[in-house]
Amino acid sequence: MENSQNRILMAKTGLDGHWRGPTIVARALRDAGFEVIMIGMANTDDIVTAAVDEDVDLVGLNIGGHIDVAIRSIKRVQEVRPSLPIFAGGTIPPHAAKQLQALGVEVYPPGSQLADIVDAAERLTGTK
Amino acid sequence: MSEPTTQALLTSAMAGNRSHLARLLSQIERNSKVETQVRLALAGIPATSVVIGLTGPPGAGKSTLISALLTHATASFNKTAVLAVDPSSPFSRGALLGDRVRMQSHGLGDRVFIRSMASRGETGGLARTTATAIQVLDACDWPLIVLETLGIGQVELDVMDLASMVAVVLNPGWGDTFQANKAGLTEAGDVFVINKADKDGVEQTRADLQDSLSLLKPPLPINIFETVAVKHQGVEALWRGIEAYLKEAQKLGLLEQKRLSRRRRLLMRILQRDFDVRMHAYLTSEYGDNQILGALAGSLSIEALRADLFEYIANVDKRPR
Amino acid sequence: MTKNSTDKLVTSTSGIELKSYYTAADIPEQHKPHVDVAPGEAPFHRGFHASGYRSKPWRIFQLSGFGKPEDENERIKFLLKSGETGFIMEHDRNTADHCYNVNHPEVVARCEDVGLTGAVMQSIRDTAICMDGLPVDTSFGHAGGAVVQHAPFALAAYWTVAKQRGFDLSSLKGTGQSDFNLTYLGCVTKEQIPTDAGLRFNADIIEFCAEFLPRWVPVSIAGYNAADTGLTPDQELGVLFANAVEYLDEIKRRGKMSLIQAAQGCGGVSFRASIHIIEEACKMRAARLMWSQLLRERYDISDPKVSNLRIHCVTAGSKMTYQQPFNNIVRGTAMALGAILGGVQSLGVSGYDEALSIPSEHAHQMSIRIQQVLQEETGIADVTDPLGGSFYVETLTAKLIEKAWTFFESIQKQGGYLAALDSGWLHAQAGENQYQEFMKTESGDQKIIGVNCFRDDESPFEVDGFMGTDDAFDVATERLNDVLRTRHEMGAARALKQLEADCRSDKNIMPVMMDALAAEVTLGEIGDVYRDVFGNWNTPIQT
Repeated sequence: MENSQNRILMAKTGLDGHWRGPTIVARALRDAGFEVIMIGMANTDDIVTAAVDEDVDLVGLNIGGHIDVAIRSIKRVQEVRPSLPIFAGGTIPPHAAKQLQALGVEVYPPGSQLADIVDAAERLTGTK
Repeated sequence: MSEPTTQALLTSAMAGNRSHLARLLSQIERNSKVETQVRLALAGIPATSVVIGLTGPPGAGKSTLISALLTHATASFNKTAVLAVDPSSPFSRGALLGDRVRMQSHGLGDRVFIRSMASRGETGGLARTTATAIQVLDACDWPLIVLETLGIGQVELDVMDLASMVAVVLNPGWGDTFQANKAGLTEAGDVFVINKADKDGVEQTRADLQDSLSLLKPPLPINIFETVAVKHQGVEALWRGIEAYLKEAQKLGLLEQKRLSRRRRLLMRILQRDFDVRMHAYLTSEYGDNQILGALAGSLSIEALRADLFEYIANVDKRPR
Repeated sequence: MTKNSTDKLVTSTSGIELKSYYTAADIPEQHKPHVDVAPGEAPFHRGFHASGYRSKPWRIFQLSGFGKPEDENERIKFLLKSGETGFIMEHDRNTADHCYNVNHPEVVARCEDVGLTGAVMQSIRDTAICMDGLPVDTSFGHAGGAVVQHAPFALAAYWTVAKQRGFDLSSLKGTGQSDFNLTYLGCVTKEQIPTDAGLRFNADIIEFCAEFLPRWVPVSIAGYNAADTGLTPDQELGVLFANAVEYLDEIKRRGKMSLIQAAQGCGGVSFRASIHIIEEACKMRAARLMWSQLLRERYDISDPKVSNLRIHCVTAGSKMTYQQPFNNIVRGTAMALGAILGGVQSLGVSGYDEALSIPSEHAHQMSIRIQQVLQEETGIADVTDPLGGSFYVETLTAKLIEKAWTFFESIQKQGGYLAALDSGWLHAQAGENQYQEFMKTESGDQKIIGVNCFRDDESPFEVDGFMGTDDAFDVATERLNDVLRTRHEMGAARALKQLEADCRSDKNIMPVMMDALAAEVTLGEIGDVYRDVFGNWNTPIQT
């Protein structure tokens, strides 16, 4: 294999525009050799379409609002691409984190180490 | 779950399976053997798609313009595919691909297919596999392919080889800032767009452009359009201009010429790549190394070395490893 | 941080090298004449007024709002009862920021988010519910309207309700927000009017207030979101004044009102108070000096009533940690202390659950209690500018001013504040700082208690996020349908048409906005006009 850069989709599920987390994470992932496709604020259809058309190896969601909104997107992605791993960050209170974990989504709340996030991306995409 | 073979993916993608088309495009990017295999499989299929290339300096608003054009383009062609190329980091080989942010709220559903491509070290404004990706999209019945080049500021002429027509996107004030690129860009364009035309300096830019264009002898007159893509101003007129160009170009047989040159380019690249691989094998083999040392020592003439190299290249597949 | 090393380079957040102690000799020459000037006198760095908090304690001003308008109304009343001395009406960000009604597909796709970050107010009827029984005449009210495109709606709604209740607009006190750094830098929305249209809206608001609401702070020039996005304190100062200059230059260009009046309107600004207590206090002192300097040198204004800056301040949300959230009560106190030592007029303290959710009632109450303890128990309010004359504080104030003007100049070199937003130059600056800050935390150079040291594996003091109400979307949908069904349709259509015409002209949009609100035109309809007339801002994306 050559040029085996793995591709990660990064989306924000809510409409509240704080960008702080995702851009830092995206940069760290790029610096770790990933191709990061940023789609900004995206609804379920946007996320599913991008996950398919871009044939990504991992989806990263920045979650800011009600957890049910994110869960709806996650379930649709899992329907369309069952084996695609998903991880999430953002303002995710403990009860919501548990719901995500139950769906097989790894959760990186504020204060998580970038190194851990990059490690997770490498592990989930089988890069290392 | 085992991965489908390349041929299975291709067949399925050509039958309209979108996720297999997407998967095939990644495999082509990842593995040049897959790329070659796909090219060979598609070699007999004539190119029919129209490819519109958008190039121009960074920040000119290419993505926004494409986003604004999508409604009109899709109304004319029924379906539109977009390939958007962004630069890879030379250090990590990773990339941030952000063009989709501006393009995704088109409301056209499945009739639009957008794919972000990282340049993966390629210069010239495109990715190594862009040409093949176009060939695949063409074979999968995407009648219109819009191609956005890197826009990293250097001359990006590769798009000319691949596109049926090229739109060069500039902004007011272009003449002052992009002096060095003027010549290259003006030669690349079949139409010109002054985007952000609500800013000062449109007249000057138009005059500068006309000045540079007056030196050329294009087969069709080159029109200059003014748009404010964020407000959708002038976008419909631009699209009509693009359609008019395509129609005229079709009449004059220019599109057919372009398609031929696109296929010629693909073929040349296959040959070039094949040659490079074989040459590399010669240069890095113990045998080749000895021959070169011989030439350096004077025991082998340059002519003999060349003949040996060519013989090696022609028969490298047959050699035992 | 410096416990074992005296030779290690120590810098402030702005990157100013700090000595281990200061003497009189360190104070820069140009600053020395200012040191002994009394508070309330030019150049004002020592404070707004000589008697400081003795004559006027800082206003306790908390951001609040969620759910249905009546939920928000109830929370505001709770806060006022708890001792808040002004109130802020927060609008639901999902709908408000984008000027969408709840039936917009982007909102429907996220219906559970509706009401999570503010109350849904789509028509004047909603605003009337939210304002029910609030002391509009005696309190300092904040009408909301955080992002620029939403401000005309939020303000017109507030004023129209107040008018309908018989209050005289000319005596209303309060503010909106209309914050450029929030809108275009810190908290970019999905769809919004371009910066030039935003500038026009804000100039319209400033001119309208000058004529009809002289006691109203028309727009808030705010550094908060610039800072919370990554700009350092010196850059926060520089960008804030670059923003102010853009407004004042525009007012001057339009020539419809006196520049002095505009400067007075713009002279109520807001900053973020972060965790480096002394530097943050110095930042507030620096801001006052810079404002008086700017008005004198650039606009030839030296009327002390105008060049004396008033400052509202909010503690840094991004400093509040997800882990061990009760530690945030201490952080809130420390950040509040910096602001108070800097002499701010108004203060909001972020909730201890900031990193988890919008504030719960308890977190909100704590934010007020922190301020009350500081105000009433600590003696901090007894003497104005308690830090004044400190070798360190005066030196750092002077150095911040110098660095801030340098950043201000580099923004001018980009073609001005608007150009620096449009091109993404400011975003790139902020992004770079953010990354560096993150890396410092990552490496442990910057310790964050409970996050990268003194961690708990399983915290016994866990707090869960507050999730508001769950009927905001349904009720808002019902109410929207109700308005559309029962309003005087002809009147609404006529007002909307006039709004579009005025948007396309260069008329002030506020009078027609007041008419539109009175005619029960809804938020989403106004947003559709904006999208049609102004288009969408081309968000600069860093790749």
